[in-house]
Amino acid sequence: MTTSRLAPVATTPPLEPELAAALARALQQVNNVVLGKNPQVRLAFACFLAGGHLLIEDLPGVGKTTLAHALAATLDLSFQRVQFTSDLLPSDIIGVSVYERERAAFKFHPGPLFAQLVLADEINRATPKTQSALLEAMQEQQVTVDGITHGLPSPFFVVATQNPLDLAGTYPLPDSQLDRFMLRISLDYPDRDAERALLAAADRREVIGHLQPCLDNAQILAVRAAAAQVLASPALIDYVQALLAASRSHADIRVGLSPRAGLALLNAARACAVLAGRSYCVPEDVQQVFAGVAAHRLIPGSASNRTRDQLAAALLTQVAVRQAIA
Amino acid sequence: MKPMQPLTPAQFDLTAASICAAVLPHLWRLPWLFSTPILILLIGRWLQRRRGGARLPTWIKLPLILLFPVLIIFHYGNIFGREPGAALACAMLALKLVETESRRDARAAICFASFVLMSALLFANSLGFTLLLFAALTLLLAAMRELEPRAADASVQNRRATVTVDLRSGAIALAAAVPLAVCVFVFLPRLGSPLWGAPDDTSARTGLGDRMAPGSVQQLLIDDSPAFRVSFDGPLPPRAELYWRGPVLWYFDGTTWTRPGYLASNRGAADLQTATPTIAYDVSLEPTDRRWLLALDMPVAAPDNAVRGADMTLVSRTPVDRLLRYHAVSAPKYRLDATLDPQQRALALELPPGLDPQARALAQRWRSELRSDDVIIRAALDLFHKEFFYTLNAPLLGRDSVDDFLFDTRRGFCEHFASAFTFLMRAASIPARVVTGYQGGYFNAAGDYLVVRQSDAHAWSEVWLAGRGWVRVDPTAAVSPQRVQLGARAAAGARAPWYQADWLQLLRNRLDVVNRFWNDAIVQFNALRQQSLLTPFGIAKADYVDLMWTLIGASSVLLGLFAWWVLRAPRTAADPLDAAYARLRRKLDRAGAPSLATEGPLTLAARGEDHWPGNRALQRLFANYVGLRYAGALSSTQAVREFARAVAALRLRAHKP
Repeated sequence: MTTSRLAPVATTPPLEPELAAALARALQQVNNVVLGKNPQVRLAFACFLAGGHLLIEDLPGVGKTTLAHALAATLDLSFQRVQFTSDLLPSDIIGVSVYERERAAFKFHPGPLFAQLVLADEINRATPKTQSALLEAMQEQQVTVDGITHGLPSPFFVVATQNPLDLAGTYPLPDSQLDRFMLRISLDYPDRDAERALLAAADRREVIGHLQPCLDNAQILAVRAAAAQVLASPALIDYVQALLAASRSHADIRVGLSPRAGLALLNAARACAVLAGRSYCVPEDVQQVFAGVAAHRLIPGSASNRTRDQLAAALLTQVAVRQAIA
Repeated sequence: MKPMQPLTPAQFDLTAASICAAVLPHLWRLPWLFSTPILILLIGRWLQRRRGGARLPTWIKLPLILLFPVLIIFHYGNIFGREPGAALACAMLALKLVETESRRDARAAICFASFVLMSALLFANSLGFTLLLFAALTLLLAAMRELEPRAADASVQNRRATVTVDLRSGAIALAAAVPLAVCVFVFLPRLGSPLWGAPDDTSARTGLGDRMAPGSVQQLLIDDSPAFRVSFDGPLPPRAELYWRGPVLWYFDGTTWTRPGYLASNRGAADLQTATPTIAYDVSLEPTDRRWLLALDMPVAAPDNAVRGADMTLVSRTPVDRLLRYHAVSAPKYRLDATLDPQQRALALELPPGLDPQARALAQRWRSELRSDDVIIRAALDLFHKEFFYTLNAPLLGRDSVDDFLFDTRRGFCEHFASAFTFLMRAASIPARVVTGYQGGYFNAAGDYLVVRQSDAHAWSEVWLAGRGWVRVDPTAAVSPQRVQLGARAAAGARAPWYQADWLQLLRNRLDVVNRFWNDAIVQFNALRQQSLLTPFGIAKADYVDLMWTLIGASSVLLGLFAWWVLRAPRTAADPLDAAYARLRRKLDRAGAPSLATEGPLTLAARGEDHWPGNRALQRLFANYVGLRYAGALSSTQAVREFARAVAALRLRAHKP
């Protein structure tokens, strides 16, 4: 073996040791509840740490709700679940102002949206009007009722689910609205071992009830701040740009990735780097989040018979990490 | 008009250095009348500029410009020709530095400097000198690069680093020009004369003269430069037979032996009977500016373009003013002039009247006491053998030089012995003459040829005996047989000075092989050689037009290839980190771990750990690459260089899946 005199390049970790340990514990705890879904849990964490919102597109019963519950319990977030139906009105989620006689004034009664983690279940069942209200709130992190602006709690994290198969009587989110979700993941069936463990173990709800919070709000804000500080070197930005450019020039893609998508990609990659204990982004971070960030934003051409996920994967296998040495 | 771009100190210094480098190869042979003012100009200008001196006014520059042509006409008589031309070019180049203020000036100065530099090849074209010129040319190219405008941030602030980068790019530019140079060298139509053929230097070269005065050979004995090189068709003859015949001397005036001019062409047909076997060989004679050719005793025929005199002296029709190659055949067993021409006999018995009475008396005593010529010769050789010493430090001799030598000093070297012996023979009525030439030589086994140096110069005698013709007698061999066996210096027992230490001699003999190749392949490359080089490619007879078209075609192809290569090379490949990382990936690929361009460094690192578990050097490399490329540590060029070095040092065992 060669003896190398090469001095290691010094880098500083992004987090204080205790904070890093707490984050690792939180990740581990959620993984213990949602069995066999390491990559998805990681993406969910990355999405949360990057300040985005998560869309889970999957069949019922694969653990979407469990994931949301486990996240809320572990991260010590106030939790609200809204089951979206076709008769749900915007005020049902935002809240209403009610006239109070004794005070002779309207009083705002906040809706379920006023929680740190909102699980918007089966979002595609609600009418576009209600969907818009939710997405607007997600974007602005505030709601305005009767001319009065109410700030939503911080951190504010929306996990929306959508059933891709049962389309009768639904209002699928338009492409422009999908862009509001930083990441879209699907959980899929667990593998054989994980499913066996799931079947053999205690009820998930009971497990969640016993979960201890691992990070408090202040710590979460600190981790988010660290994620925002993560270095994206010129070489990495080159790579992100190359991916964006490829998505725009690909023959099978009608509409490529927007600058907002690029920003989401970079921020999600940054959060990923923090989860890996790095204060800088590497191409692997980008690759990890790319399908989650890009797939739901890509609009395939009419002649294409490839799915959005296949297109995202194709882009990754087509763009060199470093153009110069490709 | 563009505004003047002033020179930075680095640019000026490099320009000045280039000009010095161009002038230096001329300086050693320019008369002091020119070399001194040129040196003063160069140094003075450099100092003046260093002190931040102002631009020189015209009233100083103008007289300087006029001064040099006047000096040249004063010294050489005219301003044309090689010598005055070179002097003028050097002087004008030095003056150009005086007025160089802007980049445009400096560029013009350097272009002119390269011309001046190349003109030095008109005076000397040995291998070492040519290499020296290439080094100087690298400097010129480096200066040219320094003059290129470049982005302020891209330039390295460190002065030494800048010069290093410049020199490297200069060397690369020079190397890139090599294919084109080879192409031009091979295809450029030649005149009949060799490369760099030019009217030659009239200044004297060392070598055998047509006279032998005391001390004349001694001058040669301390000169180690090669006189000629010989490659034999057959085996090397024994050393004792290696008598290289040069001019034969007949006249003696008491101190100096000379040669009658008419003998050269007179009576070309000598009476020479030879016996087999003969020796055939090729001689490459270094330029002597004289007309003597050297051949082993006795040349059977004259080489091309030369005549053989009546005394077997080979004389070229033209002075040997450049390396000359000729083929010769000699017969070591011969009989020359069974009957002696009366005119020659008279010449071979002539003695200076009134000089050296003691020697005459001795010879006449021998003649009266001893019966035959053979015995007289034996007596003379015995005399030398018993009482004389061979030394290179011979004492000076007086008017009666032979008497002084025979009866007083009794020490000397070949020319003393040959002179005294021939005198004695003539005094004893035996026709005799002095032959000058070279004896021996060094056989260079590495190149399979014999190199004869000036220090191998020798002189011996020939006596004419009835029935046997001219017989070679080497009186020096009687005194010091080693002279013939070992060489002059060894025979003299002189302690070799440091510059002739054994290892140095060995090195020099090795180098001589290279020099010989240079002489044969490059300097002697003429129209004939060019033709023989092209014949195998089916070009039976190439005239100038064919050659010209070939040259244009071949150089266009070369230039096209070069342009394609330059334009094709991606600019970012110049990034040393990318280059080193690409090399690392190639190494992994060769060792059995191929990777895709779309795979990131951590992916490859994980694969490396899979294939070569525990290889910390490999993991360290990937960690460093990630650190340098993605963790913002790129500012340090030193770290990148170390990374590249570590990649170069990485050794991977082939991975077998």
